Amino acid sequence: MKLSMTQAQRKVRTKNLWVLTSLVILIVIVFMISMNTGYIKLSPLEVVRTLFGLGTAQQALVLFDFRLPRIVLSILVGMGLAVSGCVLQGVTRNALADPGILGINAGAGLVVMLFISFFPSTTDTPVFMLPILAFTGAGATAAIIYVLSYKRHEGISPIRLLLTGIAVAAGISSATIILTLRLSPENYQFVATWLAGSIWGSNWKFVLSLLPWLIVLLLFVYLKANVLNVLNLGDLTAIGLGASIEKERRILLAAAVGLAGASVSVSGGIGFVGLVGPHLARQLVGARHQVLIPTAALTGALLVLVADTIGRWILQPSEIPAGIVVAIIGAPYFLYLLSRLQD
Amino acid sequence: MFNSKKVLASFLALFILLAGCSAKKETSKEVEIDVATEERTLTDAMGHEVTIPANPERVIASYLEDNLVALGITPVAQWTVNNGASIQAYLQEELKDIPTIPYDLPFEVVTSFAPDLLIMSGAEAVEGSTYEQYSKIAPTYVLEVENNSDWRGKLLKVGEVFDKTEEAEKVLAAYDEKAKETKTFIQESIGEESAAAIWLVNNNFFIVGDNVSSGAVLYEDLGLTMPNVVKEISSTATGNWSSISLEKLAELDADHLFLINSDKGNGAEMLKDPVWKDIPAVKNGNIYEFEAETAWLYSGPIANSQIIDDVIESLTK
Repeated sequence: MKLSMTQAQRKVRTKNLWVLTSLVILIVIVFMISMNTGYIKLSPLEVVRTLFGLGTAQQALVLFDFRLPRIVLSILVGMGLAVSGCVLQGVTRNALADPGILGINAGAGLVVMLFISFFPSTTDTPVFMLPILAFTGAGATAAIIYVLSYKRHEGISPIRLLLTGIAVAAGISSATIILTLRLSPENYQFVATWLAGSIWGSNWKFVLSLLPWLIVLLLFVYLKANVLNVLNLGDLTAIGLGASIEKERRILLAAAVGLAGASVSVSGGIGFVGLVGPHLARQLVGARHQVLIPTAALTGALLVLVADTIGRWILQPSEIPAGIVVAIIGAPYFLYLLSRLQD
Repeated sequence: MFNSKKVLASFLALFILLAGCSAKKETSKEVEIDVATEERTLTDAMGHEVTIPANPERVIASYLEDNLVALGITPVAQWTVNNGASIQAYLQEELKDIPTIPYDLPFEVVTSFAPDLLIMSGAEAVEGSTYEQYSKIAPTYVLEVENNSDWRGKLLKVGEVFDKTEEAEKVLAAYDEKAKETKTFIQESIGEESAAAIWLVNNNFFIVGDNVSSGAVLYEDLGLTMPNVVKEISSTATGNWSSISLEKLAELDADHLFLINSDKGNGAEMLKDPVWKDIPAVKNGNIYEFEAETAWLYSGPIANSQIIDDVIESLTK
């Protein structure tokens, strides 16, 4: 009996390892394809030559300054959003939780918007400000949602949290729309592309401003995997197992908000990644967060990377923001999930 | 396939231009023509030190093409939205064979033209620190005037970038002369009768403000009498063109109307509305229709000059 258990465990472990490896391989493949995708044609050979410093100046410019930062950023943003969604789903025990649906993206967007409307763009500073601003907005939104859905003696019920989130998100979105009406056409264009979730103007600065947040928060969340597992069992069981659920929940929520805020600040409002990423991951490896979190990170990265590559290629010479491509893929999936929940 | 051809073509064009350029330089050495032959450093609107090449040959100045054409400069690419579906049609006599570039200036498309100078129409165009990347493609000058409808200021700035301030001033002087003559002509032909420009798009009417775009030409440069409704709407206007309700339209007592009709393709039902038919100008047949592609929705030395031509032609009919 005991022997067969370990055998089953080993089987699961091999399977999980296999899933993770194939995800990494897939990302590497899309990475390669993405490097070859764009208005200026670079053959795979030219890409390799350029990577080793043998390309022309123009090829190096296209690859190192235009394509690579974008690709790297897509991967990072995908990881951040998917893990954020994974944590939110774990904490709220709700399969439909997602930083976008909870209004965290909208909150970050509103603050970025306010900043753009009140500070002249002639100053060249905003890039490093954006993550902090977006984080403030996301944090404030999360705090509002948390306070509104908190009830004494009952704590936070997952459903109330979700409903409050949707309501607050709707409110923030309308405020954002009112603000966009006051913008100059040029500023509006920037904001509109930003809100649509474009990794369009990305450069290494964006990567650098996102990276430290991501590393710290992803590691932190990973270390909390066991807490997430316990929270998943339901409040009563969790209390029974000795978890101080409110405190843990608050800390994990803050981490999820941080991940989403930082990602959204450089990518704009990319929705559905936080929903679809963890879901796919759960289908692949199950609900154990030690495996689920890395898998979600990889599926999220893959999703955004694919979306950005498609967006760059499909309507040349124009580009479709990655957020819109993700939404086209993600919205049907969301509806599918909804329909399954009703059964 | 198509794109690689395009790139090839632009490279060919580059070589031809380079060949032409070097040939020109040789002759200029002999004849000592008075052109700027040295690099210059200018500070742009955002405070960047921009090194302007001696003779910029491959310029991209999206949505500033009017000024380039006025100064006799041909860009390598021209502004478009919807991938060539919408361009500045009124400039096509000069820009007929110039390929288009999407208005949001994707890096790689810009790079494919191998420009030697980029002029951005405002700080918004390089929002989110994209300036750094553009400036790696070519020297990038961000042009900004305090008031966006100040087309004279824009022209002078563009002139400054190309060391053609004198030419720019000449263009302005010629324009002012033309405006003055037309003003006298208008005084003689219609006197104090009022006029307005009105734009019909998607079944909505818009009225131009009194000191922007074609409004600036009509009222400031040509001294046409402004109907009260235009005065009223302009005082609270936030954009160049302000929406005018049917009620306000009923009060529009203009004697002459310049109608820019963007609804021609879908029947322009609004022009059958009794309120419209009751406007004095419409009743008396003093209505002059222009297509949306004409200069009326733009502003700049060429656009404004074409608007004046249109006004003369309309009022002599």
